[in-house]
Amino acid sequence: MDWKGYTLIYVVLFVFATIQAVVEFVGLVDSAYWLAFGIIMVLSVVKAVGVAAYYQHLISEPRSVTYMILGGTLGAIALTGAAAYSIV
Amino acid sequence: MPSDTIAHAVGVPLHGGDVRAPADVFNSIFEVFLVLGTVVGIVVVAYTMYHAIKYRDSGSTDDPYADTVERPQLGEKPTGGTGGRKVFYSFGISAVIVVSLIAWTYTTLLYIENGPDESQAAIDAIEIEVEGFQFGWNFVYPNGHETNSLVVPQDRVIKLQVTSLDVFHNFGIPELRVKTDALPGQYTSAWFTASETGEYTAKCYELCGTGHSLMVTSVEVVPQSEYDEWYADTQSSGNGTSGNVTAAIDAGATTAVGGAPA
Amino acid sequence: MPTTSSLQIGADDLAFPRLNALSYWLYLFSGILVGVSFFQGSTFAGGWTMYAPLNTPAYIPGEGLGATSVVLALIMFTAAVTMGSVNFLTTMYRMRAEGLRMRDIPIFSLSINLTVWMMLFAFAALLAALMILASDHVIGTTYFQFANDGSTLGTSAENPGASLLWAHLFWFFGHPEVYIVFFPALGAMAEIFQTFTGRRLVGRKWFIISMVLVAIQSFIVWMHHMFLTGINLPIKTIFMATTIGISLPFDLMVFSLIYTMAKGRVRFKTPFLFSLGALLLFILGGITGVFLGAIVLDYQFRGTYWVVAHFHYVMFGGATALIGGLYYWYPKMTGKMYDEFLGKVHFATFFVGFNLLYFPMFIAWETPRRVFEYPADLQIWHNLSTVGGFILGASMLVMFYNLFVSIWRGEDAGESPWKYASTAEWAVGSPPKLENFPGLPSYASGSLEFLDDEEVAERTGKPPGAGVAADGGTASDGGTARNIRAVTAPATPTAAAHETGGEGHASHASFWPFLVSLGGFIAFLGLSGVRTGSPVYVGMAAVGGLATVGSLVGMTRESFHAPEMAIAERWPFEGVEKMKLGMWTFLASDVVLFGGFIGSYAFVRVAYGWSDWHHDLIPAEHVTMPGLINTYLLLTSSFLVVLAMVAAKREWRGATTASLAGTFALGVGFLVNKGIEWNHLFHIHSEMFPNGWTLSTNIGSSTFYLTTGLHGAHVVVGLVICGYMTIRAWNGAYQGDDKPIEYFGLYWHFVDIVWLFLFPLFYIL
Repeated sequence: MDWKGYTLIYVVLFVFATIQAVVEFVGLVDSAYWLAFGIIMVLSVVKAVGVAAYYQHLISEPRSVTYMILGGTLGAIALTGAAAYSIV
Repeated sequence: MPSDTIAHAVGVPLHGGDVRAPADVFNSIFEVFLVLGTVVGIVVVAYTMYHAIKYRDSGSTDDPYADTVERPQLGEKPTGGTGGRKVFYSFGISAVIVVSLIAWTYTTLLYIENGPDESQAAIDAIEIEVEGFQFGWNFVYPNGHETNSLVVPQDRVIKLQVTSLDVFHNFGIPELRVKTDALPGQYTSAWFTASETGEYTAKCYELCGTGHSLMVTSVEVVPQSEYDEWYADTQSSGNGTSGNVTAAIDAGATTAVGGAPA
Repeated sequence: MPTTSSLQIGADDLAFPRLNALSYWLYLFSGILVGVSFFQGSTFAGGWTMYAPLNTPAYIPGEGLGATSVVLALIMFTAAVTMGSVNFLTTMYRMRAEGLRMRDIPIFSLSINLTVWMMLFAFAALLAALMILASDHVIGTTYFQFANDGSTLGTSAENPGASLLWAHLFWFFGHPEVYIVFFPALGAMAEIFQTFTGRRLVGRKWFIISMVLVAIQSFIVWMHHMFLTGINLPIKTIFMATTIGISLPFDLMVFSLIYTMAKGRVRFKTPFLFSLGALLLFILGGITGVFLGAIVLDYQFRGTYWVVAHFHYVMFGGATALIGGLYYWYPKMTGKMYDEFLGKVHFATFFVGFNLLYFPMFIAWETPRRVFEYPADLQIWHNLSTVGGFILGASMLVMFYNLFVSIWRGEDAGESPWKYASTAEWAVGSPPKLENFPGLPSYASGSLEFLDDEEVAERTGKPPGAGVAADGGTASDGGTARNIRAVTAPATPTAAAHETGGEGHASHASFWPFLVSLGGFIAFLGLSGVRTGSPVYVGMAAVGGLATVGSLVGMTRESFHAPEMAIAERWPFEGVEKMKLGMWTFLASDVVLFGGFIGSYAFVRVAYGWSDWHHDLIPAEHVTMPGLINTYLLLTSSFLVVLAMVAAKREWRGATTASLAGTFALGVGFLVNKGIEWNHLFHIHSEMFPNGWTLSTNIGSSTFYLTTGLHGAHVVVGLVICGYMTIRAWNGAYQGDDKPIEYFGLYWHFVDIVWLFLFPLFYIL
């Protein structure tokens, strides 16, 4: 990837971060909490995937590197999700 | 005893031992597991030893199975040996035994979790709050009476709401097969019924500090009538925290002159 | 274990020899710190499971600094384990002998591989738990603290999830840990069975699949340690199912071992006796484990000797196979044979002692754990256990005597004393030479051969001993006349080529790992007593901290080069050079570390009431803006790192330096902004928080400061590296070689990604 591609990614990341804050500033977090929660978390995931794929170049590594990171992520999600669910 | 008449007069509807006690549930399942476990253990261990002994190296230079199996060579790329099908058959059998055993116990788990069904539970269950602390137990009865040892009537469903005032404890009465964790900040629930009167022991089953071993208390199962008298007395005497339950019962038996429990 | 394993896969060394040294020294000093902690008092006063809140200072009698030191020691140990895991995985995936696919590596090595995978993730979760606990001890966060306000209602607690949080974190680590301990034993068992039955492992493919399944499932069974904690019925049902699910692969492995004996030539030598014994013990442990899988029974077994007996049959049963492994590989390690008669005596007494010690515990199962008083009618069984314990202990003396004396008196073992031994370690001298093999090992032809330097040179097109990686170098070379040495030929190591070939074997002699570890030891010992305010402790923390940082810098500056193997099997990581693979592996574990912190936050927040949290615990002064600014700063810094890569590739020295310097400046800006924000929050005076919003104010502030603080610490580490690289870039480094910048970038972008989640979780939602 050359500097133009990197710049494009950067702009997208910047805009998404701004949208997340805007969601709060317009009061969506207070009025429709779980909708806001959904929007914000989805944006975070998209940003994370963008950074990992293009800045960390996961897209051009063997897929096994991605699987390894996904493995750790799944472990973390299992811990977070199952533990929190256990007391709901 | 005069107290009998009081109980009958009040007409408390007892379940009379119809509710299947957790102790019975545990004991019957445990028995099945023990028998099956022993049988399976003997069979598998014997089977293992049979193979080890039957195929021992006799020391002869001729390989008796030279035509059927290949021996590993130094430096070979690791591969599997022949005979994998038998592994699957044996595995299949063991898997069926294990899965069906556990599935069978699952219905009883639901029973233990949910307690006796509505019609039975309606039979006047007593709800008692249990608070663990370093190093003892506090029992709070529905009328607010607090004791450090437990008194419950025979053949009644006793529901426990268990928590802790400090660290992680575990409340258990081994003979009655009731046990649950006592965690600070939250409640766990458990229930039991006792068909035999007598003295039982409640213990702490989670290491909770230096006095852990001493964190035991008595659980007295008494006839309904006797319990009613004792309970009536606790109401009139307010929130006592006396640990001497026997004395309280004795006192109740001699001083009770009437008055039905609420 | 590492040695055997690297021999089996044909690696000549570990991928990162110096990291291995650091790992070793950290491990050693963590052990010393545990030892020291006993003199400070209260080490593990709450048992090894350290249940909360008994593990917090409020419930530790007296000063009890040992309870803190031991947590810090475990952090050090975990760091050592993580480094070891990264190193091992990289070795296994980058340095396998040619022709050795992952599925082809010997079963013992495979068990080690899976063990290390589990270690990588499980110990990261433990690290999260330990760091949180240490912060509760040292800097006063309140994760595990349960404030007893004197009322009798447990639910009035400010942090109702405190106690259960630890149980979750601990067992999320604790259950994989069971297999981490057991798997090497399982691998040794399978290896020894193959050799002493003269049969290849029956159903090997399914054995391997079973092990992989267990390794994965081990991370989703942890709540079976918590069935009575009040977790809900659906989750209990799920974990009951996963628990039964994880027992089934073990069934298959047991039968696989049994049938491996069929049509074999079973020789009852000491290693086999121990392995067979281990199998029998494991069968018993497995059957009694099914009892625990039935939740109704589990409830009553909780906290009793049934559990004690069961897990000793499983885990000490595993250790039995490892003792077998010790006898099996003893001739390889020492070059001498042990005394077979004494070995058999050891086994006989060991096996009798073991069963006499643990079997009566099943009969006396109603004894509660960790009490000194039990029902009188059970006394006879406890007496038997005691006798068994002494027999078991005494049997080990026989082994120590045997193995010690045999070093001098034992017969020479030769390359392989065992008939039917097949794995690579038996094809080299005993003990093996430093460079492991008399040439480059290869399985390309279907069985083990050693390529000499000329052969390697011919294949790679590089001069002998150049030590340059040939990525994915698995090309087959049908028909070329090859200068090889078949393994069946007598051992005449041609290692001279290695010594004369320029770089040769990497030198391990670096004293920096030792100094880093020593510094860490002093710093942690100091930290354990910082809360007392004693100048001695504070001084040690400061001196130790400086020494650690200083020697880390020294280690970085030291020139150190460990070449990659010229030809190796690298699936599935072909094309990912070892530094990059090592970095990614480390990041995978770091994902779990942050996962532990974020998971803890989510858990205590759910326990408190997700929606009430923000209203009750967070001050109005805690606003979004500082977080947003920091998001912009980090995103921009990440952008600059990739620009630095572009510049380096095009050999624009000025642009490379400027981009790195910009990254550094933005990172510093991030920290300054955070500092201003924290300082403000520390000193607010509102109605709700008259004394400021500090680490100890409530569970909300604790989670905020600690989680973002851990992230901040990652930023600091990144800045140290970034500053160092900026100077080097200024001096002309990296031109045309953007690899080092990429490695740093992987880390820095990861830190960025973590912030992408922390920002919404702690600033918006």
